[in-house]
Amino acid sequence: MNNALSNALTFGASYAEIRLMAETTSSVRLKDGQLEHAIPGQEIGATLRILADGAWGVHSTTDISNIPNEIEATVRLAKAVAARRPSGSNPIQLAEVPIHQDEIHWKSKKDVRDTDLDTKLSMLDSIHQSANDDQRIISVSCGWSDEHLHTELLTTEGMDRTWSFQRSMVNGMVTARDGGDPVSYRMRHGGEGGLELIEACDLQSLGGDARIAALRLLKAKRSPSGKLPLIADRDLTGVYIHEALGHPCEADLVAAGDSCLDGKLGQKIGNEIVTVVDDPTMRGGYGAYPIDDEGLDTKEKTLIKNGILTDYLNHRETAHHFGLEPNAGARAQDGLHHPLVRMSNTMIMGGNFNDIDELMEDIDYGVYACGSRGGQVDTGRGSFQFAAQEAYLIENGEITTPLRDVSVSGLTLQILNDVDGLTKDAKLASPGFCGKGQTVPVGDGGPIMRIREALVG
Amino acid sequence: MKMIPEDAIERLLDGCKEISKECELQNISEWEIVGSQGYGRSLDIEAGRISLASGGGEGGFGVRILENGRYGYAHLVDVSGANHAVSQALSIARASPSIPGFNLPSTQEAKTVDGMIDDSILKLSPDDLLSQGDDIISEVASLDERAVVIGGGIGIGAEASVMLSSQGIEASGISTSHGLGVQVSIDVDGQMTSSWESSSSRKLMKGIPDCVSTAVEWAQKTRDPIEIKSDAVDTPVIMTSQGISSLFSNIIRPSILGERMVRGESYWSGKLNQVVLDNHLTMMDDRRMEGGFGSGSRDGEGVPTSCHTIIENGTLRKMLWSSRDAAKNVSEGRVDAAESTGSASRGSHMSPPTTGCGDVHLLSSKPPMSLDEMVDAMGTGYVIHSVMGAHTANPTSGDFSVTSSTVLRVEDGEIRGAIKQAGVSGNLFKALSDEVSLGHSSTRNGVSSTGTNHLSNILFAQGMRINPA
Repeated sequence: MNNALSNALTFGASYAEIRLMAETTSSVRLKDGQLEHAIPGQEIGATLRILADGAWGVHSTTDISNIPNEIEATVRLAKAVAARRPSGSNPIQLAEVPIHQDEIHWKSKKDVRDTDLDTKLSMLDSIHQSANDDQRIISVSCGWSDEHLHTELLTTEGMDRTWSFQRSMVNGMVTARDGGDPVSYRMRHGGEGGLELIEACDLQSLGGDARIAALRLLKAKRSPSGKLPLIADRDLTGVYIHEALGHPCEADLVAAGDSCLDGKLGQKIGNEIVTVVDDPTMRGGYGAYPIDDEGLDTKEKTLIKNGILTDYLNHRETAHHFGLEPNAGARAQDGLHHPLVRMSNTMIMGGNFNDIDELMEDIDYGVYACGSRGGQVDTGRGSFQFAAQEAYLIENGEITTPLRDVSVSGLTLQILNDVDGLTKDAKLASPGFCGKGQTVPVGDGGPIMRIREALVG
Repeated sequence: MKMIPEDAIERLLDGCKEISKECELQNISEWEIVGSQGYGRSLDIEAGRISLASGGGEGGFGVRILENGRYGYAHLVDVSGANHAVSQALSIARASPSIPGFNLPSTQEAKTVDGMIDDSILKLSPDDLLSQGDDIISEVASLDERAVVIGGGIGIGAEASVMLSSQGIEASGISTSHGLGVQVSIDVDGQMTSSWESSSSRKLMKGIPDCVSTAVEWAQKTRDPIEIKSDAVDTPVIMTSQGISSLFSNIIRPSILGERMVRGESYWSGKLNQVVLDNHLTMMDDRRMEGGFGSGSRDGEGVPTSCHTIIENGTLRKMLWSSRDAAKNVSEGRVDAAESTGSASRGSHMSPPTTGCGDVHLLSSKPPMSLDEMVDAMGTGYVIHSVMGAHTANPTSGDFSVTSSTVLRVEDGEIRGAIKQAGVSGNLFKALSDEVSLGHSSTRNGVSSTGTNHLSNILFAQGMRINPA
């Protein structure tokens, strides 16, 4: 492959890389206590990425042996893109980075590939048994997924890195009905690591808590709509910061003109109590990775420090474009996709409040929202939305009526200023997935957060 | 040079046969192997220019085996790993519960569905694709000199697929696709508006698809928003076909799957032969639509496909089944009788077949209304063109609470202007159950590997709440 890469330079490329990724995966699904499916898999893919005349050409394939034959055509493709570059548009250049030849393997304490099906079924059954323990529960679905990821990167700059790590996760969905409309509640636990992650989880509590939440939703009322004080639990704080800030901080979107944070580096965009980091080195987080997909060592990135926008998430192209230090934000979904700027483990850091009671005590009428159903953002307009699994009214500083199907929306640049209370204890919440044309696992979280006024619906 | 090799099918068939030999060596009586290989070219557009062009191919094999009603599945890329994959599938089958009455489908004649392949896509060169990208960028600028394509791209693809089974099925085919999406932005005078639109077809889309001008139009329409001093209000709403499609995909499509119905996981569970939609509405699941993205001669486990009337004049008539889900739920006593409706779907070779929808159409027996007629009939309310957060909707209850930045305020039958943002909430099952009007011809939207919605604009007279920001 090294020879093939050298040929790319001969054909006129300024940079070329081959990234190969092999995945060993397993997913298991239990439906109402019975094995629905178990799917072991071996996948492999490679992406050839070539920069020529300041434009990218890419070839992705599962036919690894054929890559050398695609070098010339991919250089031609890049040159064809470059030839169409409008006048006044700068050619793509890459920021300088340290060149490494090494291997980094994040070993799990218990290699998940050694976990047999019986063990997985037994663990899922624990969730099922505790989740199913009420006649109003009409179905329980539990899932297991794990993956061992092995990546090799070769570049014409001499980068030759190999890295590997694992992810493991259990999840479930509880559906309840009590004569009326059905409701559902879902749970997830997992992160970067092997079997030890799942063993460390109290699976009975995971299932039991989901059952209790689903039963609570049966009696929940429709949410009030309007601009209200909001308290978000760790899960929702994480989704909020992922959607409202994390995506607009992705430098490829900023460079494309699709971010409300364009031109705001160094400016105050939030309350001074708000500090946000994105940290792929946080072992155990679902968005952790040792090396990014351009071969850079990962590190913690501070995106907001005391309300001031201090950095964008970037890859080599956007680091050069904005004159920033590369911060290893390049991630690809798998071996068949090229890297984009992505988040990893994104968190708001803790504040000064001791607990939720302190946050609630001066709220006369508001909403406490918990658990995430996901979110979405329009990065250009700076508007976002996220939805809670369950919620409660806050009346006179006390949690009162359970609510269902609560969502929160707002404008990034407004609502970051409206965060006016954070508890001290910031940590990652449930694992999640982020879609941006490609899907990657992410972690996010923070403390319990109070927003002075949010659009609740 | 054609995008797909001439011998693509033969290569896949050879791979399937290799794996089938391994099944026979391991004395497996029932097996089913699928192989797929996709080939494609695409380009990305960012900041008003083509930023990247790519090509390539990916694929693999999936093997499902059945032993005494117990099934196992494994997937692989390289057929040299067939022994390992088949062994894994067999060991999983032995750990799985037996499903009495479950057999892999036997071979049956299946008629071809037209419009699945366009040779002109196969012949399209990288330069042709780049030229289309140039044309789209230029078209946007010519429609509005302030408008820029800040994101999106174009892709063409061809997929060869093969199925081989112990029950005598040997089927193969090639399908093509052409898709494009554009995020058009107008960012001037300190105000940024944008709109995402997309279009797709199994045939080559020549020229500039309409979605490009629609994107420009909505980026223009949503500028200079007016202020609405209103609390959240229950109000009539028009949702454009794009606006409704993502909610429809997340809520309505899962609700017609047989397994969800009989397990009580669907809002429509227990409502067979009851009125569930406004009584002029009919919903079809069509797997034989010419050029349909959810269509084909056979489903994901080789059963010939059909067009099913799921809801007829508001009354729920049918649910969808794969052969495995049907046998399982009959054997477990959840339903007295069920058989495959030819509705097995696969996301890829990595997934075993599960029950899914194909090309879903929502139709009305009433005369369709134009958008202007809808606005006039609505009187006062809102037009919603796209929503954020449809994936957060509750597919079980049908409740949703989403956000839109493409909202027009209508008063006295006239569009007054756009508002900056609004929350949109309601229950889609209930909203579709009464006082619904449909617009003119349905638009293909919500394309996925397992099907497409064909929806028109919808006027909801009730069941929607708008919460202006």
